[in-house]
Amino acid sequence: MKKAIIAAALLGSSLGAHAEAPGGPGCGWGNMLFDGQSGLPMHLLATIVNGTSGNATFGMTTGTNGCSTSGSLSYSGKSLLAMNGVLEEVAMDMAAGQGEALTALSVSMGVPTADRAHFNAVMHDNFAVIFDSESVTAGEVADSIAAVMKKDQKLAQFI
Amino acid sequence: MHDFFFRRIFCAGALALCAVNAFAAELQSTKFEQEVLDDTALEQALSQSPAWLALLHINRGATMHSRGESYVDDPKFFLSADGQTDRLSELQATIRLLRPDGAIERCRFPARYRFLASELGWQGAEPFAHCADYLQWRNSIPSGRAVLVFPASYLNSPSSMFGHTLLRLDSSDAPDTVWQSWAVNFGAVTTEKDNSLLYVYRGLAGGYPGRFVIVPYVTKVQEYSHLENRDIWEYSLDLTDVERARMIDHLWELQEINFDYYFFDENCSFRLLELLDVARPGSGLIEGFRFAEVPVNTVRTLYDQSMVSERIYRPSKAVLLQADIDALTTQEQRLVKALLDDPAVASGDAFMAFSPQRRHLMARTAYKTLRLRERKHVRNEKVASTGFALLRVMSANAYEEEVEVAPPSPPESGHGTQMIGGGGGQLESSDFGELYYRFTYHDLIDNNRGFLKGAQIEGLDFRFRSTESDTLKLESADIIHIRSLAPRNRFIKPISWYVHGGLERAMAGDRKRLVRFVQGGAGASWRLGLMQPFALATVRLENNSVYSPLAEGGGGANIGALWYLEHAQINTSVEGLYFGNDEYRHRWKVDVNLPINRQNGIRFGWQRDGWRGDAENSVSVAWRHYFD
Repeated sequence: MKKAIIAAALLGSSLGAHAEAPGGPGCGWGNMLFDGQSGLPMHLLATIVNGTSGNATFGMTTGTNGCSTSGSLSYSGKSLLAMNGVLEEVAMDMAAGQGEALTALSVSMGVPTADRAHFNAVMHDNFAVIFDSESVTAGEVADSIAAVMKKDQKLAQFI
Repeated sequence: MHDFFFRRIFCAGALALCAVNAFAAELQSTKFEQEVLDDTALEQALSQSPAWLALLHINRGATMHSRGESYVDDPKFFLSADGQTDRLSELQATIRLLRPDGAIERCRFPARYRFLASELGWQGAEPFAHCADYLQWRNSIPSGRAVLVFPASYLNSPSSMFGHTLLRLDSSDAPDTVWQSWAVNFGAVTTEKDNSLLYVYRGLAGGYPGRFVIVPYVTKVQEYSHLENRDIWEYSLDLTDVERARMIDHLWELQEINFDYYFFDENCSFRLLELLDVARPGSGLIEGFRFAEVPVNTVRTLYDQSMVSERIYRPSKAVLLQADIDALTTQEQRLVKALLDDPAVASGDAFMAFSPQRRHLMARTAYKTLRLRERKHVRNEKVASTGFALLRVMSANAYEEEVEVAPPSPPESGHGTQMIGGGGGQLESSDFGELYYRFTYHDLIDNNRGFLKGAQIEGLDFRFRSTESDTLKLESADIIHIRSLAPRNRFIKPISWYVHGGLERAMAGDRKRLVRFVQGGAGASWRLGLMQPFALATVRLENNSVYSPLAEGGGGANIGALWYLEHAQINTSVEGLYFGNDEYRHRWKVDVNLPINRQNGIRFGWQRDGWRGDAENSVSVAWRHYFD
């Protein structure tokens, strides 16, 4: 058991524990937002640890900024969305209809290269459905994406 | 002496390795006693082989701490009680414990097992069948490609100029997205309770353990590209499948294992080189003395060893935003600013007069600005609703292509980290000669190829001067001199700042004396074509035995401009300081740097120093050579 925990820690994820809802509290849309560290002392600190800011040096706890990383081992769509800053990136790509975050999302959902342009178009067309308010959470976004895909002939198979 | 000694061991190890296979073949047919003898000889040879030394992280003379011993500072990593200092004893213990089928220690040391199995001819179809945790982990780690990732310096943080290195593991040669990749990072394990000063001290003195951790790469992209606004350079490594597999197996052996962490030498970059030395033992990656391993030198070493197959530039969010801003007309920029204040502008006539693509670009620029500005702030309803409204405008208007950003000069093309120089000049009517040495790293007008403009970090910068009447004397010694001149624009308004501390000859009391000082300031900077003007408010604290009680404080201003021309960099400035003892000083300066090539440059200077009652002028010319 201990080994499993170590393995999980090393991977920056929690293998067995999915108790926390994807996204977790305080990880909603518009959560533009991390408790940042700035100012001169932090620059010096960053230098000392070779550029990794305080939180990141723990490595294993990538979710210390309010977003849970549960399930990131499998990189399922939900856990990807739950990562810090990713939701905003996905939102921007969906509003644009393309981008790296959207590609990453489609890959994590198992959408093959051939269907990716279609995936992007569907996501773009449904931007207002998927992001229906400024307080939407990562979990809700994941659910909406699934619902939109289910209604699409080509994309339904990936849900 | 030490170097020589260990190089000999190193060479002996390499020679011995060649003999290993011959030994192994002979073993089959000899008698039992002979076998024991050969076993010992074989073990001795193996324990000196580059592969074994790499697996144990033996210091072969590259750094100063505990040479000849393992860098690993953790009993969990050793199977023999004296494994840290005795590589042969560790090898024998490893052989003994890993050889039996189903040995539980195999699960902890798969890379060691594979090394010994291949050298000693151990057979076994599925040697790790009983290691479920290891197998599960191993299958989840992508191994199609290894990439060295170098987050370069970022605006307004000159200290980041030193950079950082980490390793990325991709699923294939050409992955659809690197967001699915894993990042291997070596860093100090700190506790959040420590305060800043203690943190700095322990970081330098080796008070923190260092560890390898593996995290989703996307978290690093977020951290560097977005949160810290660093450009990222990626160097694909030309490793074979076997080499990558060996390295990943070894990473498993390093889980939760503590190394000593020293900022200067045994840092992230050095450890990554060690990791690559495991992948390709005897590669020469960590040969020689590697004090003060600056990450960019790691990149250079990899090029020297022909291990880099491709280089990719990933601009930071700030750079991408700047590209969008540059693509807008002044009128469009004004609309972006208006959108940021009130997204309802999007339904106004002025905005709707533009094509959908231009509207998309304006909304996108506004959204990116908002993200950049708010990236370090906590969630706020107004920002969230503005951002949301901007996204709706974007999605309602046809996509406008992202502006292509041309990669700047890569960091490894920059000048060396240390500098020596010599020159001469005239102070009023007397001549002087000067010698310079700077330990690290870059000033505002050093050749900026591969460096960020407007950023400076100097540590241990010495200037010695001899005059007609006097022998060589210390003229100034900067302990630290950091300057960050970050240009402001319509959307982003960073603060420029500097800190400077050390010794210099200054008018104190009735004559020039060597004073100790700390000085700092804050202000603003702008970019106007090739010129970058700046204005900073300054405070200074100065100590010398003539001061009573101890130190004199003063304040003033520093105003000037930088010019980044194609073949020259120029810094013009004037600084005025008024002190508590009613003294004042002012200094006018023009410095011109002409790069000759990557490692050499010529610098011309004119300076006028004034103080109550007098002033003096000097001109100088110097040759500066960069190395290491």
